[in-house]
Amino acid sequence: MMNATLIDYLIKILFVFVLGTAALTIARRTLSSLFTIYAIQSWLIAGIALVLFFKERAAILLPIAAVTVISKAFLIPYLLRRIQKSMDIKRDMEFRYLTPISSILVSTALIFLVYGSFSRFLLEMSSDVLFFFGAVIGVSLTLMGMLVIFTRQRMITKIIGYLTMENGVLLFSLFIAELPLIIELLIVIDLIMLIVLSTVLAFGIDSTMEEFHEKLQAFTLWFKE
Amino acid sequence: MSFFLFAILNTVFVLLISPLFISLIKIVKAFSQGRRGPQLFQTYYTLSKLLRKENVYSTNTSLIMRITPYINIVFILTASLFVPFVFIPPPVVGIGNIILFLYLLICAKFFMALAGLDAGSTFGGMGSSREMNFSAIVEPVVIAALAALALVMKSTNFHEMFASALQSSVFINPATLLIAPSLFIILIVETSRIPVDNPETHLELTMIHETMILEYSGPNLALMETSHAVKQTLLMGILINTLVPWGLTTTPTLTSIPVAIGMFVVKGAALAIVVGVAESLVAKARLFRLPALFMLAFFFSFSTILFELLT
Repeated sequence: MMNATLIDYLIKILFVFVLGTAALTIARRTLSSLFTIYAIQSWLIAGIALVLFFKERAAILLPIAAVTVISKAFLIPYLLRRIQKSMDIKRDMEFRYLTPISSILVSTALIFLVYGSFSRFLLEMSSDVLFFFGAVIGVSLTLMGMLVIFTRQRMITKIIGYLTMENGVLLFSLFIAELPLIIELLIVIDLIMLIVLSTVLAFGIDSTMEEFHEKLQAFTLWFKE
Repeated sequence: MSFFLFAILNTVFVLLISPLFISLIKIVKAFSQGRRGPQLFQTYYTLSKLLRKENVYSTNTSLIMRITPYINIVFILTASLFVPFVFIPPPVVGIGNIILFLYLLICAKFFMALAGLDAGSTFGGMGSSREMNFSAIVEPVVIAALAALALVMKSTNFHEMFASALQSSVFINPATLLIAPSLFIILIVETSRIPVDNPETHLELTMIHETMILEYSGPNLALMETSHAVKQTLLMGILINTLVPWGLTTTPTLTSIPVAIGMFVVKGAALAIVVGVAESLVAKARLFRLPALFMLAFFFSFSTILFELLT
């Protein structure tokens, strides 16, 4: 149906755009554009899964693409937008430890670090360079999401960082790991994410970490040793 | 012989086409603001009007003020030989080297900053200081982007790069797609466009490029404006010829040259519209916010290098 060079080409193009969205996630400050970037990133990853299906013929890839589109391209961005409507902030201007400029520099270094450490063994394991590619970009995306989590102060942007991380794990799993195990892991991660989301929704969606902590103090009664 | 033909045609073409892109960007911006904007050929009229006037110099100025417009246009036009628009000429030593290209642009910029200082006005001095500051920050980014481009195209010569871009298949190379944002940001920064500088105004305290040419009048101003326009066309040419080089040829014939010119005018107009739209969408950024933009270009250059290492 599709020839091998076209598939490789398409996947590489999609990788390029994934890297672009990751950089924008670190640099942008407007919340609504962060959500849009996340939705686009999810579309891209679903696209990668779909194209990979034509290469690998593994039937599991189709449900993965479908689930990704439904949940991450529509449902989660929709929820995030609804949350944002109820808040009085439009932009996340507060940063900790690193400004966006230095975060981008650090993420460049991180990508090279991942490349350096993976190139020692992954190239010998798999003959197809595309799998190495996917692993490097997947793990880099995870690390960049982590960077977003720790440089942003607002909870809602931290969620974006978390979702980016999850996208990175998904990308990694598409190319390297055994799928069923990773899918289980993904579900666990999703559950944690759900808990984080709902906690934040309830108590501290528009606050910084410190204010959030104070708000939580009111509930210490429930958790006293 | 073929090279001389190239040199003449390319220089004439770039001089003729550059003001068109400047007006086109202005029209797009005016349109997005709900104004009618200038005519398509307005920049040509302005330049010819300026050329008919006389030069006025402040009594404080020195030789620098008088020679800078000529030095500037000579450097920029020499640099224009490095970016072929009509056809790719046979190789000539030194022409097309990316490092030399950068140095030519920097020399022109250096003299412009010097001329800004020359009249002794605080405004010009401020502009020159800012220009040099930004050059120091943006130059490593430009070097990184061109190094990435050289790695992707396997050459440090623009002519060879464009030739290899032309020969690669109908698909755009994914790596060149990754370097395109870097080149676009460099285009915006080097031509003093909106998130960095505001080309429209003479009043705003944040402006950079306009303050340096504030003391110029008449033909000298026309020369400075022309070299700015040509520089913009060159940077646009680099982006266009690496990303969508179709139409350019290595063998000049009577049919291929008009085709190359026509294709470039169309692609350049499209890029000018993109620049105009991009400029309308963003607001002028605060001065200390700008390094983020440069770092984004840096990130894309390094990702391109990584991409090349992987494939």
